[in-house]
Amino acid sequence: MSKLLKAFLFASFIAFPYTASADVTVASWGGAYTESQIKAYVDTYDAGTVKFENYNGGLGEIRAQVESGSVIWDVVDVLPDEAITGCDEGLFEDISAEYANFTPAPDGTGMIEDMANSGVTNLSDCCAPQIFWTYVVFYDPDAFSGEKPSKIADFFDTTKFPGKRGVHTWANGFIQMALVADGVAPDAVYIVLKDQTGAVDRAFAKMDTIKDDIVHWSAGSKPLELVKSGEVVMSIAYNGRVGAANLSEGENFEYIWEGQLIEQEYICLVSGSPNRDEALAWMIHASSPASQAEQAKYITYGPMRASGIDIIKAGEPWFHTGIDVMGHMPNTPELLKISVMGDPEWWSDNGAEIDERYGAWMGN
Amino acid sequence: MEVNISTAEQILTTDGVPLKVSLRKTERRNKIRAFLLVFPLLLFIIVTFIVPIGDMLLRSVDDSQINEVYGKTFEEYIKWDKEKDQLPPEAVYKALFEDIAYGEKIKIGRAITRMNYSKSGWKSLIKKTRRQINKIVKSEEFPTSYKDWLIEINEDWADPTFWYSMSQMLNERTSIYYWNAIDRTFDQDSNVVMQPENRRLYVATWIKTFKVSVYVTFFCLILGFPVAHLLANLPLRYSNLLMIFVLLPFWTSLLVRTTAWIVMLQQNGVINGVLVWLGILSDEGRIQMVYNQTGTIIAMTQILLPFMVLPLYSVMKVIPKSHMRAAQNLGAKPANAFRRVYLPQTVPGMSAGGLLVFVLAIGYFITPELVGGKDGQLIGHWIAYHLKTTLNWGLCAALGGILLGIMLVLYWLYNKIVGIDNIKLG
Repeated sequence: MSKLLKAFLFASFIAFPYTASADVTVASWGGAYTESQIKAYVDTYDAGTVKFENYNGGLGEIRAQVESGSVIWDVVDVLPDEAITGCDEGLFEDISAEYANFTPAPDGTGMIEDMANSGVTNLSDCCAPQIFWTYVVFYDPDAFSGEKPSKIADFFDTTKFPGKRGVHTWANGFIQMALVADGVAPDAVYIVLKDQTGAVDRAFAKMDTIKDDIVHWSAGSKPLELVKSGEVVMSIAYNGRVGAANLSEGENFEYIWEGQLIEQEYICLVSGSPNRDEALAWMIHASSPASQAEQAKYITYGPMRASGIDIIKAGEPWFHTGIDVMGHMPNTPELLKISVMGDPEWWSDNGAEIDERYGAWMGN
Repeated sequence: MEVNISTAEQILTTDGVPLKVSLRKTERRNKIRAFLLVFPLLLFIIVTFIVPIGDMLLRSVDDSQINEVYGKTFEEYIKWDKEKDQLPPEAVYKALFEDIAYGEKIKIGRAITRMNYSKSGWKSLIKKTRRQINKIVKSEEFPTSYKDWLIEINEDWADPTFWYSMSQMLNERTSIYYWNAIDRTFDQDSNVVMQPENRRLYVATWIKTFKVSVYVTFFCLILGFPVAHLLANLPLRYSNLLMIFVLLPFWTSLLVRTTAWIVMLQQNGVINGVLVWLGILSDEGRIQMVYNQTGTIIAMTQILLPFMVLPLYSVMKVIPKSHMRAAQNLGAKPANAFRRVYLPQTVPGMSAGGLLVFVLAIGYFITPELVGGKDGQLIGHWIAYHLKTTLNWGLCAALGGILLGIMLVLYWLYNKIVGIDNIKLG
């Protein structure tokens, strides 16, 4: 009965009929990001057909598919804490036994070690690496006549740099920046969050100082419009969006790299995937250093494989328009020193509570 | 002529069957035919409406998954005298060890998502512990005291707040999600208490959702009434043209209209620009009209306006113009005639429009999401958040259940006061 019920539920969830085919279906975020994935991972792949579908993130739809037993996505592109939760919940298949078959770095370093070289040690057992993306502050240099902001503390200093700030409607990214602005070393942010009681209070106290000067956005394209139209003088944004504006649309935005939050992005194999083996073969292709470097030709998200960065460096000018791309890559060795490396495990433990608190903070 | 059916002599039809039987037969056939005609619709409603809503309501009180995983632990847990001992007795630790050691990996994985709603930190605590327990099970060197061993591998097991939070998970049929949906939780003795201050979110959001919906309904009525009146009283060729102006936005994509409002309302937008140009506002004094509650109310009012105008129009259309003239003929001033003769006749339209707009507003999602910014997010935002991000479907269902309950109460109230027969959509 329960199974039947779930099938019914699912039918009302997904409106279109599903026809069986051998195409590997990948659910991803859409927009310029998916376009870069198609160019880097699908156009370069001749062992099978792969098609992309857009989704809005979150594990909700995947859980509905797996629970009802009608899985239509083979691979999903997810945030790092979702990679962990999805693996725990059995929504994704454990592929850790296959990691040895993934493409090693050109010098022979295995995938796991290659990722550890970029600072990633908490790979979930169900997923393969994609890219690093970051929450970064950016601004239009023309908006400042004199001194220009250069460090994250300037984002929180409205006397020195008056004007509104663009911030998203959820907490991740902003609270880490608040701690760095309050004097915590970037690489100590998560240590402080884990070990010091009151660290979250400290971040909120810092956020309070600019609370009345914030314009909150919820869609990734919004911060660019906000800064461009002069609605805000600086904003937090996804670094790839800023990179695209600079490299493809001729904008001249400046980044404040200090205190940026580096987050990981994974592709995971959905449990009960109808084309499991084909999907896995494509995942191996899409997580190879060469493929990951290829993606940086179209979007400024950094490869999670350390050896991918070396390929880009050696191949400059790497961007498809013939421009140098390293200046826009968020995870160069120099930037890693002043960036906060996301800790998805801590966030999957505490994210919900902090988001609720942030919601209450925003609304009152 | 008198016909007495009760006499022993029955009336027969031409083929000799008693008339009564024959009638009943045809009637039954008709009933079956009628039922078969509505059956597809009935099935459709059951599948797409009743079953999902029923399933949602069940989820809002269901905690059986975690009780299946931690059955033994919970059985021992309820014996723990919290007054006497600060930490649970050895038997609880042992039961927990066994539940984790011999439970299915995926079931434990699902349970920790749920445990984390009660206290942040359960996820990694159970996962780290499970890794250690698996080593012990493999080596078969079981500890003499499970309590000491667990505390040794992770000091969080000596933290009573983790154990206290377990009191929220003990019942297979639970009310915790409904309490969470109004900022309440259970303390260690399963008494209902307020959430810690900085986690109180939902009561304020419910009030905000109500407030915004009332405002939107009110503004729709104020703005929609004259429009509908005009439409109903103009000659047909003008009113048809004007009707297009009402319907065109109605047919335009929601996203387009929402984005258009952002362009109009933002600080460097059209309205602020004009006001500054006219000298009404100073350049520094531009008003913040979007990315807050004001923006939500403005955009939602415009988007929901047709739902008020259309029922009002259809009701006003059939009010005879002679009524107003008659009232004025009999000596009523225009205002009085309007108030006492015209207005009462529009009540069915106003209530239909009002109910429609309010019900749509209270569950609205995409517009507040885009223009709501800091304080314009309504309850729908948090339902979507928990559905997608935290996977706390129990809380989602409870929030949805409350929304459904509010709707039913409103409907009942409306029926009491205005009477549902008075509703008129056209």
